[in-house]
Amino acid sequence: MKLRRIQAIAVKEALQIVRDPRSLMIALLVPLMQMVIFGYGVNLDIRHIPLCVLDHENGQQSRNLVARFAASNYFSLRRAAGSDREVAQALDEGDCGIALVIPADFSQRLNDGGRATVQALLDGTDSNTANIAAGYAKSVVAAFSAAAQLDAVQRRGGTLQTQTPVGVEARVWFNEALESRNFIVPGIVALVMAIVGAQLTSLTIAREWERGTMELLVSTPVQPMELMIGKLLPYFAVGLADAAICLGLAVFWFEVPFHGTVATLLFTSSLFLTVVLCIGYLVSVSIRSQVGASQVALLATMLPTTLLSGFSFPIEQMPAAVQAATFLVSARYYVEILKAVFLKGAGVVELAVPILCLALYAAVVVVLAARAFRKTLD
Amino acid sequence: MLGRILHLLIKEFLQLRRDKSARFRLLIPPIVQMVLFGYAATFEVFNVSTVILDQDRSQESRALEDAFLRSSRFALAAPARRVADVRDAVEASDAQLGIVIPAGFAELLRKGQTAPLQVLVDGTNSNSALIALGYVGQIAGDFGQTYAQNLAERTGRLQGKPIVSVEVAERYWYNPNLNSRWFFVPGVIGTLTLITIVNLTAFAIVREREVGTLEQILVTPIRPFEFIIGKTLPFFLIGLLEVSIVAGVGMAWFRVPFRGNPLVLLLGTCLFLFATLAIGLLISTICRTQQQAFSSNFFVLNPMFILSGFSFPIASMPPVLQWLTYVDPLRYYLVIIRATFLKGVGLEALWPQMLALAAIAAVLLAAAVLRFRKSLD
Amino acid sequence: MNPPDAALATTSAAPAIAVDGLTKRFGAFTALDGVSFAAGQGEIMGFLGPNGAGKSTLIRILCGLLHPSAGQARVAGIDVARQPEAVRARIGYMSQKFSLYGDLSVVENLRFFAGIYSVPRAEMAGRIAYAVAMAGLGGQENTLVANLAGGWKQRLALGAAILHRPPVLFLDEPTSGVDPESRRRFWELIHTLSGDGVTVLVSTHYMDEAEYCHRIALIARGRLIALGTPLEIKRHSLDGELLALACADLGRALPLVQGAAGVRDAALFGSRIHVTVDEAARRGPELEALLAARGIAGATARPIAPTMEDSFVSLVGKAALNAATSANAAGARP
Repeated sequence: MKLRRIQAIAVKEALQIVRDPRSLMIALLVPLMQMVIFGYGVNLDIRHIPLCVLDHENGQQSRNLVARFAASNYFSLRRAAGSDREVAQALDEGDCGIALVIPADFSQRLNDGGRATVQALLDGTDSNTANIAAGYAKSVVAAFSAAAQLDAVQRRGGTLQTQTPVGVEARVWFNEALESRNFIVPGIVALVMAIVGAQLTSLTIAREWERGTMELLVSTPVQPMELMIGKLLPYFAVGLADAAICLGLAVFWFEVPFHGTVATLLFTSSLFLTVVLCIGYLVSVSIRSQVGASQVALLATMLPTTLLSGFSFPIEQMPAAVQAATFLVSARYYVEILKAVFLKGAGVVELAVPILCLALYAAVVVVLAARAFRKTLD
Repeated sequence: MLGRILHLLIKEFLQLRRDKSARFRLLIPPIVQMVLFGYAATFEVFNVSTVILDQDRSQESRALEDAFLRSSRFALAAPARRVADVRDAVEASDAQLGIVIPAGFAELLRKGQTAPLQVLVDGTNSNSALIALGYVGQIAGDFGQTYAQNLAERTGRLQGKPIVSVEVAERYWYNPNLNSRWFFVPGVIGTLTLITIVNLTAFAIVREREVGTLEQILVTPIRPFEFIIGKTLPFFLIGLLEVSIVAGVGMAWFRVPFRGNPLVLLLGTCLFLFATLAIGLLISTICRTQQQAFSSNFFVLNPMFILSGFSFPIASMPPVLQWLTYVDPLRYYLVIIRATFLKGVGLEALWPQMLALAAIAAVLLAAAVLRFRKSLD
Repeated sequence: MNPPDAALATTSAAPAIAVDGLTKRFGAFTALDGVSFAAGQGEIMGFLGPNGAGKSTLIRILCGLLHPSAGQARVAGIDVARQPEAVRARIGYMSQKFSLYGDLSVVENLRFFAGIYSVPRAEMAGRIAYAVAMAGLGGQENTLVANLAGGWKQRLALGAAILHRPPVLFLDEPTSGVDPESRRRFWELIHTLSGDGVTVLVSTHYMDEAEYCHRIALIARGRLIALGTPLEIKRHSLDGELLALACADLGRALPLVQGAAGVRDAALFGSRIHVTVDEAARRGPELEALLAARGIAGATARPIAPTMEDSFVSLVGKAALNAATSANAAGARP
C-alpha cells in the first residue's frame, strides 16, 4: 500500500464531492430531514387514545367517572354512543381504540353493595396500545374507586384502613420519565446513519464504471485496498458531518439526556461509520455485475435495521433464531452503544463487547469489499 | 392498442422467465422476511430479567417472590444478597428489573397497613419498562388483595376489605389474547409489498432508459399511456401474487385469522398496488440512472414506512406529521389489511380508506403519466 | 535518486512486447486465437482489423485487465498473467472511451494520475507542465475537462498516460471520433514519443493511420493474418498484380471480368473495378479487348499500387474463406 496513491485518490474524490454541491447538500439535508421525521414519527408513548363512552345510567356518579377519563391525558373523548351497536361500529371502523360501557345500575350498586363494574372494550388489533390502554383505564377507575371509598368512609365517620396491602414504590433509572423518545431517538441516529452512510458510497464505484474512468483506473498500479481507502476517506468526513447533525439534533432538538462523553461517541460513531461506508462500497462494487443487488440491498437494509436492530423492538424478546439473525445487523451494535452512551453514560470499557463486534464486522466487510473488487474485466 | 399492450406484456414476461435470479429475488426474500419479522416485531414482554432481594425472609415475602417467578413475565437473572447487588445488576444491564422486599414487610401486612415493595427498573426501553412495571403492579396487587381477604376471614375483622370498589372488566375485541403477531404480520405484508413493487417498477423503466431500449420502443407507434400499462401490468400481477404468498405464509405460519371478505381485501390491494406502481413510475421519471433510482427509493420508502402506523401510533405524532400520514398510501392499506384480517369488517367500515387510496392512486398515476410524457421530450 | 523510468526501462536485448500463442475465450466464443508477435523498443506497432476482431481484447490482456486463456505475453520483459501489477507500473493506457474525470480540471486530473503512478514529488510539477504543453493546453490548466473539445481531450489523455514515462504505451482506438487535423497532431505526438524510445501499440480502423506505423498487424476473427511494414503488407497481400479498370456499365462488366482468364479477384472500388491478375502487363490489354468485344465502351485498364484498403479487404476476405472451409471440413467429419 502506498500512502501517495491513497492521497491522490482521496484528493480526487474530495474534489469531485465539492464540485457537485447539489449532491453534497442532499447528503447533508437527507439525514436532517429523516431525523426530524423519525424523531417525531417514531413514538411509542401512548396518549390521547380515542375513547367512546356508552353511559347507560347518565347519573351523577357515572358522569363523574366519564369526566375523570376525559380529563386524563391518556384518553380523549371521541364519541358518546347511544347503543351497543354504535359502540361496535366505533370499534369496527377503528374510530375509537377503547369503549367504556357504564351499566344502568352503576350508582345503585355502588351505594347498595359497594361494588360496581364498568366494562372496557378494547380494540385488540394493536395489541400494544390495547394493553397499555387497559392499564391506563384501570388506574383511572382505581383512582375513582379510591375517592369513592374515602367519601363513603368519611360519611360514616370512620377512618380508612389501607386499600393497597402491597404498595409498589417504583424507581426508574436511566430514563426517569419513561419517555420513549429518550430511547428511540438514539436508535434513530443509528438507523439514519446506517441508511445514509451506505447510500453515500453505494454509488462511488458504479459511477466510475458508468463513466468509463474505471477501465483506465484498473490499468494503473493502484491496489484495491488503496482505492477503497482513498475513496472512503472523503465520504468518511461527510459521514462524520452527518453523524454530528444527527447527534446534535438528538441532544439539542429532541433534548435526549446525554450522560456519556463526546470522545466515546466520536470513537464509536467512527467505527460504525466505517462499517456502513464499507457496506455501501461493497454494494457499489458488486452492483455492476448484478442489477438485482439493489433490490436485495434495499430489502436487506430498510426493514432489518428497523426491526432487528433493537431500536424499537427489544431483541431479548425475540426467539433465539431471530436473535441470532440480529447479530448480522450492524446497526444493532450501534443502537446498543448509543443507548448506553446517551442514557447510562457508558464508556469504552463498558461497551467493549459491542465495540469489538463492530470492529470485527468492519474487518469482515473491508475484506469482502476488497476481494469483491477485481482489477480485471473478466 | 390492446395488441400492442399484449406484445409488451409478452416481452416483459419473457424477460422475467429468462431471469432466474429475479424469480428467486421476488419469492424468497419476502417469505424469509415475513417469517423473520413476524417473530421480531413484538412488543410483548416475557421473561424480564429480574433480581429479587428478600430482606424480610418471612413466609409472606417468599410467597410474593414465588408469585413473581411463577408468572412467565419475570425470570430470575442473578442472586442478590445486598441492595448493592440489585443496583449493580441493573446498572450493568444484567437485569432490567430489581425488586427489593424490605425487612418488616410481613409485619406491616399483618397489621393491615401498606407494606412497601421497592422496584428498580431500567427505563432505557421505556415501552417494555412500562409494561413490566404494569405486571409488577398487577402481581403485587393480586397478592395483596388475596392476602387481605384471607386475613379478614381468619381474624373476622373487616380489615383492609374495601367498602366501596369499582372494577374494570376489560375485554379485548378482535385479538382476545393480545397476540402482537396478529398486529404485525398484516403490517409486514403491506410493507414488503410496498418496497418490492415500488423498487421493481422504478428500476424496470430506468433500466430501459439507461440501456437505450426505451428510446427504441418509443419510436414505434406505441403511445406513452399504452407503454405505461404494458410496463406496469406485470408488476401489478406480481404484486397480487406476492401479497397472496406472503399473506398465505403469515396465516399458515403465525396462525393469524382471516375473518373478513377476501374480495374487500382484493379491492384494497388493487387500489394500493395502483398507488405503489404510480410511485415507482414517478421515481423512474425523475431518475436517469439505476443508482439514482436506488437512492430515491431509500429516500421515499423509509418515511412512508415510519409514518404508516406500522408500529408507531399515528395518534401520538405531532399534528404536522399526522397530516403527512394522510398522503401515505401504506397508512390506509394497513388499516384495510388489518381490519379485513382481524375485524372481519367490510366496505361499510372501510369505505373512507378505500376512497382515500383511490384518490391517492388517481392523483399519483395522473402525475406519473404527465411527467413520464414530459421526461421523453 | 534514479528517475524510475530509467529503472523501469526495458533492456534493449529483450523485445518491449513479446506475445506467444495468446488465446482468449469468452465461454464458447474465441476472441483471440494463438496470436504471436514481438515489438522492439521505440517501435510503433499498429493493429488493424474489423470491429470485433479482437484488437481491444489483445490490448486489455497486455495491460493485465484480462487473463489469457492460453499462451504467454511479456510486456517490458514481465509476464502479464503472473505479474499484472508490475506490468501496470510500466505501461500507459488510453482506452476507447475517453476516461479522464470530466468534473476535475486539467491540472487536477494530471495531479491525480501522477499520484496514482507515484511520480516523484520533485518531478511532478515539471512533468505536468510537459504534459500540458504537449497537449497544447497551456493557459487552460484550470478548465474543467468536461468543457474541452474532443481533440484536446485525447491529447490530455495521452499526456496523463505518459506522466510516469512508461516504456510501453497502449492506445486503444485513440482517435475515434476526432477530426482529421487533431488526428494528424496526435500522430505527431506518437512519433515524438517513439523517438524517445517509447514502444507504442496502437489499434485503429483508419486505413490512413496505419501508414504512420512502423509495422502493422492485421487481425481478423481473433487471428493474426498479416504482420509487416505497411509496404510489405501492401506488396505481399495480393497474389498477383493490381489493375484499375474504368469503363461504362460497371455492373455488367464485373461478372465478365471475374470470369476472364488470369483474373484472381475483381471488386468494385468507387467508379472503377480493381482487378487482381497474374500479370498486369499482359492481362490489361486483354480485358480492354474483352469488354470492347462485348459492347462496353471506354474500357481502360492500368496497373496501380495497392492501397492499404485493398490489402485489408483482400486479406480479411481470404481469412473468412479459410475459416469457412475449415468449418465445413469440421462439419463434414463423421
